[in-house]
Amino acid sequence: MFFRLIIARLVDLIFVLVSVSVVVFFMIRLIPGDAVAIMLGANTEVTPERMAGLRARLGLDQPVVQQYLAWIDAALSGDFGTSLWTGRPVLDEIAVHVWPTLQLTLLSLLIGAGLAVPAGCLMAELRGRLADAIMRVATVVGLTIPSFWLGIVMILVIAALAPSVQALGYVAFSDDPLDNVARLLLPAVTLALPILANLSRLLRSAMLDALTQDYIRTARAKGATERSVVYVHALRNALIPFVTSVGIMTGYLLGGAIVVEQVFAIPGLGRLILGAIAERNYPLLQATILLVTCGFVVVNFVVDMLYLAIDPRVRA
Amino acid sequence: MRRLAHNRLLVLAVGFVALQALLAVFAPIVSPHDPLEQHVLARLRGPGGTYWLGTDQFGRDVLSRIIYGCRASLAVSATAVAAALLAGGTLGLLASYYRGWLERIVMRLMDVLFAFPVLLLAIGIVAVLGPRNSTAAVAIAIVYTPIFARLLRGPALVICESDYVMSALAVGASDMRVIFMHVLPNLMSVVLVQTSLLLSAAILVEASLSFLGLGTQPPTPSLGLMLSEGRNFLMLSPWSAIFAGIAILFLSFGINLLGDVLRDTLDPRLRGER
Amino acid sequence: MVRNALRSIMVAGALALPVHAASAQTLELGIDQSPAGLDPHIVTAFSSFMVVNGTIYEGLTAIDKDLRIGPGLAESWTVSPDGKTYVFRLRRGVTFHNGAPMEAADVVASLKRTLAKEIASPLATRLAAVESIAASDAQTAEVKLKEPSAPLLTSLATIAIVPRAFESDKDSLQRQPVGTGPFKFKEWQPNSFIVLARHEGYWRQSLPKLDGVKFNIVPESATRQVGLASGQYAMLPNIDAATALQLKGKPNLRLQETLELAYSLIGLNVSKPPFNDPRVREAVNLALDRQEIIQAALFGAGVPGGPLSPALRDWAVDVNEFPCYGRNPAKAMELLKAAGHAQPIAVTMTVLPRQDIKDIAQVVQQQLNKAGFRVELKTPELGQFIQDWRNSNFDLFASTNAGSPDPDDYFYRTFRTGGSTNVFKYSNPEIDSLLDTARATVDAAARKASYAKVQRVLACEGPVVHLAYAQLFSALRGNVQGFEIIANRSLSSLVSVSVAR
Repeated sequence: MFFRLIIARLVDLIFVLVSVSVVVFFMIRLIPGDAVAIMLGANTEVTPERMAGLRARLGLDQPVVQQYLAWIDAALSGDFGTSLWTGRPVLDEIAVHVWPTLQLTLLSLLIGAGLAVPAGCLMAELRGRLADAIMRVATVVGLTIPSFWLGIVMILVIAALAPSVQALGYVAFSDDPLDNVARLLLPAVTLALPILANLSRLLRSAMLDALTQDYIRTARAKGATERSVVYVHALRNALIPFVTSVGIMTGYLLGGAIVVEQVFAIPGLGRLILGAIAERNYPLLQATILLVTCGFVVVNFVVDMLYLAIDPRVRA
Repeated sequence: MRRLAHNRLLVLAVGFVALQALLAVFAPIVSPHDPLEQHVLARLRGPGGTYWLGTDQFGRDVLSRIIYGCRASLAVSATAVAAALLAGGTLGLLASYYRGWLERIVMRLMDVLFAFPVLLLAIGIVAVLGPRNSTAAVAIAIVYTPIFARLLRGPALVICESDYVMSALAVGASDMRVIFMHVLPNLMSVVLVQTSLLLSAAILVEASLSFLGLGTQPPTPSLGLMLSEGRNFLMLSPWSAIFAGIAILFLSFGINLLGDVLRDTLDPRLRGER
Repeated sequence: MVRNALRSIMVAGALALPVHAASAQTLELGIDQSPAGLDPHIVTAFSSFMVVNGTIYEGLTAIDKDLRIGPGLAESWTVSPDGKTYVFRLRRGVTFHNGAPMEAADVVASLKRTLAKEIASPLATRLAAVESIAASDAQTAEVKLKEPSAPLLTSLATIAIVPRAFESDKDSLQRQPVGTGPFKFKEWQPNSFIVLARHEGYWRQSLPKLDGVKFNIVPESATRQVGLASGQYAMLPNIDAATALQLKGKPNLRLQETLELAYSLIGLNVSKPPFNDPRVREAVNLALDRQEIIQAALFGAGVPGGPLSPALRDWAVDVNEFPCYGRNPAKAMELLKAAGHAQPIAVTMTVLPRQDIKDIAQVVQQQLNKAGFRVELKTPELGQFIQDWRNSNFDLFASTNAGSPDPDDYFYRTFRTGGSTNVFKYSNPEIDSLLDTARATVDAAARKASYAKVQRVLACEGPVVHLAYAQLFSALRGNVQGFEIIANRSLSSLVSVSVAR
């Protein structure tokens, strides 16, 4: 039964992945303006024949369906083509850009989830009091604060308080581990705030939910202190939805990274995607969006499976 | 005591949202200046004097532009979320009512759309349709459709299998009658809560798109655009960028708080009462 | 299969991590955009030009900071009396970054590469007059023309000389440029940085002074400014007035400025109403107050522009001589009435997505709206803008144009009937014949007279409303010495820059 469920979900997953590849490919080609025009820049002298020549060079003169089949065929054997601009293999380019984004998202997740546990517990313990209400309002602020704005304000504050601190840009971990983390701290905090807000709220309601359950009553009846009820019994139960929603956060993180990387000059996937859109760098854009989306889908799939494994009720 | 704190929060949220909605609706009356009128000699002023919140790089009144910007932002996000609710809600409801292959097809299609990170898909759609106010709304509507479909399917499933729906069907009520008389009313609380939470998020997406130059076009006042333009003059006068950011925060905050409090009110389990 | 892909990501990631620490004598620059490739014959966008021109690549001739033509890789040249044969004497002791000596065969290969159909170079039209290119000996190259071409020497400054091996190689230079310039290409991390290293065999003695140059790509203006103020970057080249104003007076910073060769403009589509009527085009000129545009959008840092940049002192007609340059909304509205248009005339202005142009467009919109027009602004994404521009899909547009040290280069392709960038569909027999004559005239005074006439016609009723030439700025840390800003945005003076400790 459980096994068949997994098979069914896997079939769905493959359907989604194939559809995503189709959507990505055709959506990119629907974007008006093409790589050739951008390559030449605004206002250069060029004849239509030269344009056509350059287009043929890039393989953009083939029918779109044919382009798609050729692309997906090569992609399945691990060849995503080369970047239109640098001529380097697309996978190499993505590999270079994936590390800063991974680091940034992991660091934000660490900060956000790490702080959410104590915050959520505190809110659950203080439920219904004024402090709880204030903290809830604070979490709503955290959830709705525009990250691009927060990033800019942070840069402004840094410039005002410590004009000679070189806190921006990206330094590879292998070059200087300490500097690497130091420079990622501001963008990570910017990105982490909504996660912190979201997860602590989730934890609060999951714990309140747990507090109404029978086994908590039993624990209370046995004379457990209120503290231990909240922190041990309720928290343990609340961690399941907490862990699963961490998976859902990856989607938010990838979206948020697009804007935050732009502001803090971090050479990650977000910059790569925005740049590739601006340049109409089809092979690069296709592969990047496909990989990002697949990563997102697969993470969610794994989380779903975990959920199935943990919580027998869902299986029914 | 707890109920009181709770009600206070509700009053705060409703008041906040109502105030902003009124400001947006009556923008032409409330604004102290014309949001498009340029006064080059008075540009990049700080708050105070004739221009309460200062002026931008063309000497346009920041306060007036923020009021009009809230109006534009609300109009785009509300239209988009309403459209998404209609489309996604219908699909989710039909899927859960009829089940079978219809459900399978609809939900897989929703899965495909849902597979993309929200902002990424929105950027893609706007890039295809061309950056305008209306296309930003279309993009947000498309992005939110699968979210509504998924959110409503679960509760709808429970209701569809409940005893009273079963008995309504048993006495021979038509599908439409059951959906409109029995299923839909029972979904209202979920719809209300989720719509306000998603509207709050949509305001941020709209602002992000405008910030990236993919939403409202200049010189029309828009909060995201003000922030984007203002950041070029941060070291000269950060005010227009700072106030625009605060306005986005307030707008999104009020609606989100409302949804949050509504959820607690409508779902007694979460009140924290034993 | 998937595992292979994953493995290659891992491997590439591991390889990408070690980056050499920059030494003290590497100049750190902050720029806003990634270049669109580094092949000088293919990519002509500003973002690439700035990185490669005069740093990695050099041409036969060179443009100095006063925009005058001088010797480059060619030490000297002679022109035949009929103006159709140019003989270039090449400099001795010039080597490419790959160690090979630069000879006449390389010059021939480079010019042929630019003209080759497979390369599809947009620069090919600059060599349209060329009939044949040949190497007489290792140090002499001979260019034969179909007809005399006055702008040839200017054009040659923009055509990079590359090793002959690349003549039929379409792709390599885009990512691995090889030239004769003072700096050789070292590393390019897209969206992050480009590093150039000192070319040890450079032909100018004891130059360059720097060990290397690093272009850091930082899209956010505030981030670049903070980076310069904190000393993370030593220089922000080619910035606009708004950015310069914010850096002015900061400790340890210096600003350099020059009048830019590029200018802002409004393009009018003359193939359809309302701008097919010269009276409506004149009305647009009369509706505008160029001083106000400069004050509002350029923070006062610029001058009103005619068809040629005032920076081209030898050619440009003083804008005060153009009758339509004084603001007169009443007269503009009269002209619109005479042209038979009900006011306001509703038109859509397509705007280049660049901050200074967006700013200018908003001021222009307001001025036009007070003189009988109702202008709506549309700011498409860059790719869409270029497509609309190329297909003449606009009522009017706001944009910028790079400008050129020689008038022919701009006028001929833009205003000649059927010219390659005449997207306005402008056709005026008088202008055509003046341009044809001037192009074939080598005598400077006669050329000047022809171009003066052209400017007078174009200023008021041409398809382009020239707005303003902005001041171009570069911001430097106090210890950066020897840099000179050049109006065409070239960074060729990096060759003589040094950093004091």
